[in-house]
Amino acid sequence: MPVDQERKLMTITTSKSNAEKKASGFDSWWFLVIAVIVLLLMLIFLIPDPYQRIFVFVQNGIGTTISITGISFLLVLVLGLLVALARLSKSWIVKGVSTVYVEVVRGIPMMVQLIFWYFAFPSVIQGVGDWLNIQAFIDYRASPVAMAILGLTIGYAAYMSEVYRAGIQSISRGQMEAARSLGMTYIQAMRYVILPQAIRVILPPVGNEFITLLKDSSLVSVVAVADMTRRGREFQAANFLPIQTWVMIALLYLVMTLFATRIVAWMERKFKMEK
Amino acid sequence: MEPIIRIEEIHKHFGAVHALKGVSLDVEKGEVILIIGPSGSGKSTLLRCINRLEEFDSGKIVVDGIPLDTAENINAVRTEVGMVFQQFNLFPHLTVLDNITLAQRLIRKRSKTEAEKIARQLLEKVGIPEKASYFPGQLSGGQQQRVAIARALAMNPKIMLFDEPTSALDPEMIQEVLDVMLNLAKEGMTMVVVSHEIGFAKAAADRVILMDGGQIIEMAPPEEIFNHPKEERTKLFLSKVL
Repeated sequence: MPVDQERKLMTITTSKSNAEKKASGFDSWWFLVIAVIVLLLMLIFLIPDPYQRIFVFVQNGIGTTISITGISFLLVLVLGLLVALARLSKSWIVKGVSTVYVEVVRGIPMMVQLIFWYFAFPSVIQGVGDWLNIQAFIDYRASPVAMAILGLTIGYAAYMSEVYRAGIQSISRGQMEAARSLGMTYIQAMRYVILPQAIRVILPPVGNEFITLLKDSSLVSVVAVADMTRRGREFQAANFLPIQTWVMIALLYLVMTLFATRIVAWMERKFKMEK
Repeated sequence: MEPIIRIEEIHKHFGAVHALKGVSLDVEKGEVILIIGPSGSGKSTLLRCINRLEEFDSGKIVVDGIPLDTAENINAVRTEVGMVFQQFNLFPHLTVLDNITLAQRLIRKRSKTEAEKIARQLLEKVGIPEKASYFPGQLSGGQQQRVAIARALAMNPKIMLFDEPTSALDPEMIQEVLDVMLNLAKEGMTMVVVSHEIGFAKAAADRVILMDGGQIIEMAPPEEIFNHPKEERTKLFLSKVL
C-alpha cells in the first residue's frame, strides 16, 4: 500500500512537471505565496492584539504603496522606452541629452532624488515665479504623492531605458533591415517587428525592475507620503511594539513581491508558449 | 528608354576603408544582373545602396525615376524594390502567413482577406502552400528563403535585390531557391543578384559584373565573361570559383 501510494505520488509529480513544460500547469512556487498569506492571516486572526491593530492602522498605507508603485511603473514603462529610443537615435544631440540624463540619474541615490523633488524642486518653481512674476508659480505647493511619483518615475526610467536598450539591441540588425526594406517606417518596424521580439527578452528584467520599484517605494515615506512604511513608523512611535510592527510590514511587502514574481514567471511562460 | 536603376559615381567609406570607388551602373527594365567578386569587394554594399539600407557619401542613384535623397523618396523606392537577404531575416514571432501579410496591410493598406489571398498565392508560387501557419523556426533554410522571397513579392516590387540568397543554405536546398529565382527571371522581373551561383548566371543573367576593391572590373554577358574574360583579375577570380 505505501509503495502504491508512493508510485501514485510520483506519477502525479511527473505529470505535473510535464504540464509545467507545456506552460499550462500549476506553478508550485505559488505555494510559497499562499504560505506567507496564511501566516499573515493567522497572525491577524489568532493574535489580533497587536497584529490586527497593526493591520488596520497600516491599511490605507497598503493602498498608497500599491497605487504609487503602479502609477510610477506605468509611467516608467513609457518614459523608459522613449529614453531608450532616444539613446539609439542617430542624432547626436538626442543621444547626448538622453545619455547624460541616464548617467546623472543613475549616479544619484534614489532617496536623494526623492528629497530633491519634494523639498528642492518646489523652491525652484517658486524662485522662477518670483523672478518672472508668475503668481501661479509663487503659490506652488508640492503634493507629496505627486512628487513621489515624479521622483520614482524619473529615477527608474533611467534604469528601465537600459533594459529596453539591451532588449532592442539583442534583436539582430537584419530584422530592422528586412522591415525597412519592405517600406515600413522606423516606427512601424519598431512597433510590429522589433519590440514584440524584444519584449520576450526583457520581460524578466522588467519584472525585476517592478519588484525593486515596489521595495524602493518605501523610500517615499521620508517625503511625507503615508505609505506602508510610514504608517508602520507611526504605529511604532505610538505603541512601542517594534518587533510586531516590522514583522507585519515585512510580511506585507513579502506577499506583494512574491506575488509579483509569480505573475512575471507566468507571463514569461505564456510568451514562450506563443513562440 | 530610361534605365530602371541608374547608379552614378557612387562613393562609400566605412571609416578608413574606401568600400565603393565611383561605381556607375545602369540596369534596364527586365534585366537580370549577377554581381560576383571576392568578399570585401563592395558587391553587397553596392546592392544595399540601391534601396538605401546603406548610405553613400557621394554620387547619385535614381530608381524608377525617383532619386534616393529625401526620407520620403527612400521609403517610396523601398516599396518598389524587394530585397532578399543571406540570413532570410524572417520575423520569427510571426507565422509564415503573417510575415507575408504584415507589410501589405501596413503599407499597401490591403484588407486582411486580400493580403492573405495574395500571400497564399505567392506561397503556392514558391512551392510551399502547406506551410502558411508555421513559424519560421519550424522551416528548413530553403523553405525560409522561399518565404522571404514571397514576402518581398507580396509588395509587387518592380525590382528584386538578392544579397547572397543561397550562401547560408545547405547544398541540397540551394536548387529549390534558385528554381524560384529562375521563374522570376523568366517572368521578366528586374533582378540584381549578388551570388556565386554560376549555373544561375548562365541560365538567367543578361550581364555578369565582377567587382573587386570597390570597383567594377569587368561587365559582360555570362558566356563571354565565363569563357573569354578580358581582365587578368577576372581570370584569377574565375579560376578559383569555377
